[in-house]
Amino acid sequence: MTTDVGLIRSAAPNYALDLSIWTVLKWTVAICVAIVAVFPIVWMVNVVFAEPGVPVSINPRLLPTSLSAGIAKINTILSETGYLHAYYISITYSLLTIAGVLLFGSMAAFEFALFEFPGKRPMFAIVMLSLMVPTAVTLIPTYLLTANLGWLNTMQGLVVPGLASAFGLFMLIQFMRTIPREMIEAARLDGASHFQIYRHIALPMSRNALVTLAILTFMQTWGNFIWPLIVAPSPQMYTVGQVVGLFNAPFSHVTVDIVMAANLLAALPPLIFFLLFQRKIVEGIAMSGSKG
Amino acid sequence: MLDKKHVPHLLMVFPFLALFAVFFLYPIVSGFVYSFYDWNATTTSRFVGLANYQRVIHSRDFSKAMWNLGSYIVITVPVGIAVAFCLALLVESFKGFWQNFFRSIFFMPVVLPMFLAATIWRWIYTPNIGLLNTIRGLFGLPSVQFLNDTSTMLYSLIAVDIWVSAGFNMVIILAGMKNIPRHYYEAARLDGASKLQEILYITIPMLYPVLFFVTTYGVISALQVFDTPWLLTGSSFSQYGGRQNALLFPVMDMMGRGFGELKFGQAAAYGFILTTVIVSVTAVMFALRKKGHQP
Amino acid sequence: MISTRYMHACAFALATAATISGARAQEPVTLEYWVYSDFAQGEALKLQQTFIEEFRKTRPNVTINISGKGDDDLTTGQVTGAASGNLPDVFMNGVNVGATLVEAGATKNIYAEFMAMPKEYRDSFDPALIAMCSPKPETMYCLPYTGYGSFMFRNLTVLKDAGVYTAAPIKDWADWLSQMEKVKASGKYAVPDQTQAWQSIVDTYSGVATPEEWGADFETKKTKVNEAKYAQTLQMFVDMQPYTSGTSRNDQATKDLFISNQLAFHLVGPWVNPTYAEAAKTSGLKYDYVLVPGKTEGDYGGIKGYEFIGVAPNKNAQVAFEFAAYVTAKEQMLRWAKRLSRYNASAAAMADPSVASDPLIAITNKAAANAIDGMPPYFKGAYPNCYRSILTDNAQTVADGGITPQDGAKELVEELNECLAGG
Repeated sequence: MTTDVGLIRSAAPNYALDLSIWTVLKWTVAICVAIVAVFPIVWMVNVVFAEPGVPVSINPRLLPTSLSAGIAKINTILSETGYLHAYYISITYSLLTIAGVLLFGSMAAFEFALFEFPGKRPMFAIVMLSLMVPTAVTLIPTYLLTANLGWLNTMQGLVVPGLASAFGLFMLIQFMRTIPREMIEAARLDGASHFQIYRHIALPMSRNALVTLAILTFMQTWGNFIWPLIVAPSPQMYTVGQVVGLFNAPFSHVTVDIVMAANLLAALPPLIFFLLFQRKIVEGIAMSGSKG
Repeated sequence: MLDKKHVPHLLMVFPFLALFAVFFLYPIVSGFVYSFYDWNATTTSRFVGLANYQRVIHSRDFSKAMWNLGSYIVITVPVGIAVAFCLALLVESFKGFWQNFFRSIFFMPVVLPMFLAATIWRWIYTPNIGLLNTIRGLFGLPSVQFLNDTSTMLYSLIAVDIWVSAGFNMVIILAGMKNIPRHYYEAARLDGASKLQEILYITIPMLYPVLFFVTTYGVISALQVFDTPWLLTGSSFSQYGGRQNALLFPVMDMMGRGFGELKFGQAAAYGFILTTVIVSVTAVMFALRKKGHQP
Repeated sequence: MISTRYMHACAFALATAATISGARAQEPVTLEYWVYSDFAQGEALKLQQTFIEEFRKTRPNVTINISGKGDDDLTTGQVTGAASGNLPDVFMNGVNVGATLVEAGATKNIYAEFMAMPKEYRDSFDPALIAMCSPKPETMYCLPYTGYGSFMFRNLTVLKDAGVYTAAPIKDWADWLSQMEKVKASGKYAVPDQTQAWQSIVDTYSGVATPEEWGADFETKKTKVNEAKYAQTLQMFVDMQPYTSGTSRNDQATKDLFISNQLAFHLVGPWVNPTYAEAAKTSGLKYDYVLVPGKTEGDYGGIKGYEFIGVAPNKNAQVAFEFAAYVTAKEQMLRWAKRLSRYNASAAAMADPSVASDPLIAITNKAAANAIDGMPPYFKGAYPNCYRSILTDNAQTVADGGITPQDGAKELVEELNECLAGG
């Protein structure tokens, strides 16, 4: 691998001298950045897997020191709170939101990016404008509307108001614009219906964008705190964020170890989700790379 | 009236637009209406004209919040994108397993929920015993109160911000880089272009749409910055913004006025003042883009 | 033992039910009961569930769902709940947000229900706290529940190493400062930064001022701060500045410094004690607690704060009140205090010898007697947020040497009045 010359692919002989310096430098930088990116996460794991009560100044938690202490903390949390149920709520909430955002967003983006139809420009302008209104403004009106629909403490109350993602639409439009018109015309000449073009050309071609949007939507819903807090206040509907919020309360007498353990449990699904989808991104990028 | 050929298009956009109208447009319009009322979200409201807007603009924290916001955006957006771009170049310079490996590692902070990232960073920034100050101590440097010293607070926030967002922007930029046709580089190399020239004359221009997207999204979300400074300063609805309000931002102030003081009308007015700012900034960006793109 | 307690409970609940509700149809009722998150965890949760079970024995048609919420989340949930008509029927919250809840219509005037209760129940509370819940005649918005008075934890190892004689009480601020100086000379931190949290500012100011010299008058929209005495407090912040750890009283890092023998004093409430008691067991921490020193000998500082139980103004209000009354009756308050070593609003329970002998409860009790309220008067007017940020900004500017304590105090009073007037 060290013979890899990186960006300078078809290395001309006159570059040969710079190569080793460049290689060393890029490895150094990459490893340093990797440490900065990962260390805080590793440190959190170390805090959880360390004997409680020992101050950070004595044990700086540079390495995990006690497996059993970590397991004990996690056990405490799982037994004292409805954490598993909160996982179920959060995962359902996230997956339904992702499905909706991708479906409705891609259908609309397909039209906005590739076709002309009456009202397109004003509609697009309004959707884009809404992206610029801080969510804090719409929070209470959206909440009151959801309450009037009788959707408090329900899954649809959590999910449906977040489905029309203006951001998702914007992003998908940006990517779908790059789909060559000739492909669509060719498909049409082959007798494909409008929906078939969307299904068999637009969707596969914007796969990378869809995966990215899925991850982003997942992160947003998983980390969303204020909306679940007000729209689903019943403990039967607590999301992971809300359960962690119970531990983060400032006057709570639980120790930092327990708080970190609760936080760590909250971080696990996103990390797993990411590792699973990382493959998809790689495949998607490899596919488009081979085409180019 | 309606041409038959438009029907499939309209059918496809209908689900999105219907949801959008009900759950975004209607709340925005109703929020706008409330911004002219003295409204505490519960009891009957009273029309007050522009009083909410005047109150907000003349309040003691408004100019501070706007100033903070300006300083924050001017640094965090360009630096954040520069970092992401460099990371993308760095990752791109590896091949196979290592490219995949570093991309995953650099992306890792993105998947952490914000409340978690903030908790960790509060510890890293802790005076005397925090990780950063422990490292400073090794070099004989005095302890810095990163989150409680008005001269460092903004930079501490920006560092966390970039730590959190760089990976995401990097992935988008990388995806864009993969879409640049290889033969451009091959042609440039045949012409004897240097690495730097390749980046300047091929990579950056070809990435223009992607960079524009990343920048626009970066600016719009930076204008609405809320949870990172809120959590880093340990804010609550009764007190927020950190020492001397050095990390007070408009959305924080808006939430505080709403939930802390029940001045939801004022909070809505605040929101629309901010919206005006965001719309203007974005409009300028799009105008510049058009100008830059005239072939 | 258990059976007598149980009989007490039953008898009480029956009396309650008989006096207020009389005959009533036994249709099923579900009460949403919101509590602080740490009241819905561990020991506290078990006890809450015991209370619920006991109450249900007398009212089997009632189901009670207990939900824990973080501090801010309680208020957020109640404000939005009030907006949409989905309020929790019984809830805990802090008196600091009392006025906000009244304004939002989230808490009911329970004066009539309270007065209908037996005298013995009514007299079990500290009368000052009943007054606290009653901003106007015939108006009562809460049942006082738990509370705290702040006091000072002392790390005996740090003080011993610094050559401070800990057996003698700290006389006054001058004495306290001289101890801080010794601690600093030994290379340790003396106190957390008392200017970072508004509670710490009141904590210190209370060492020179009386309760009448704190709070706001919502009729005239003027602060009651005594400028001269506040200047003395600011001077104290300037004097303490070199000895502070740079962390606030609420920071986890402050506890950490204390446990690792880096910090001499920690001025805070009793909720920190379980952490320190645990450290005493595991890492040999040596500590005790004393009242917050005052400016002159015999005076003490300290801030107090209370949590209350309130009832929402909706159709279940009657049953909700009965439950709230059951939880706040002496027998339950006594069990609560004993199990958690925590001070509460029931004077009758606090006077019980089994509780009064608990050192932590004893000190909290004494501290509360000397302390001043955080944001009084409660349930009257909501303090604008600027009030608290002015307090901390001002103290920090003065402590950093931006302006003199005299000018600082003058500016503070002006700014607070401006803020109350709606600036």
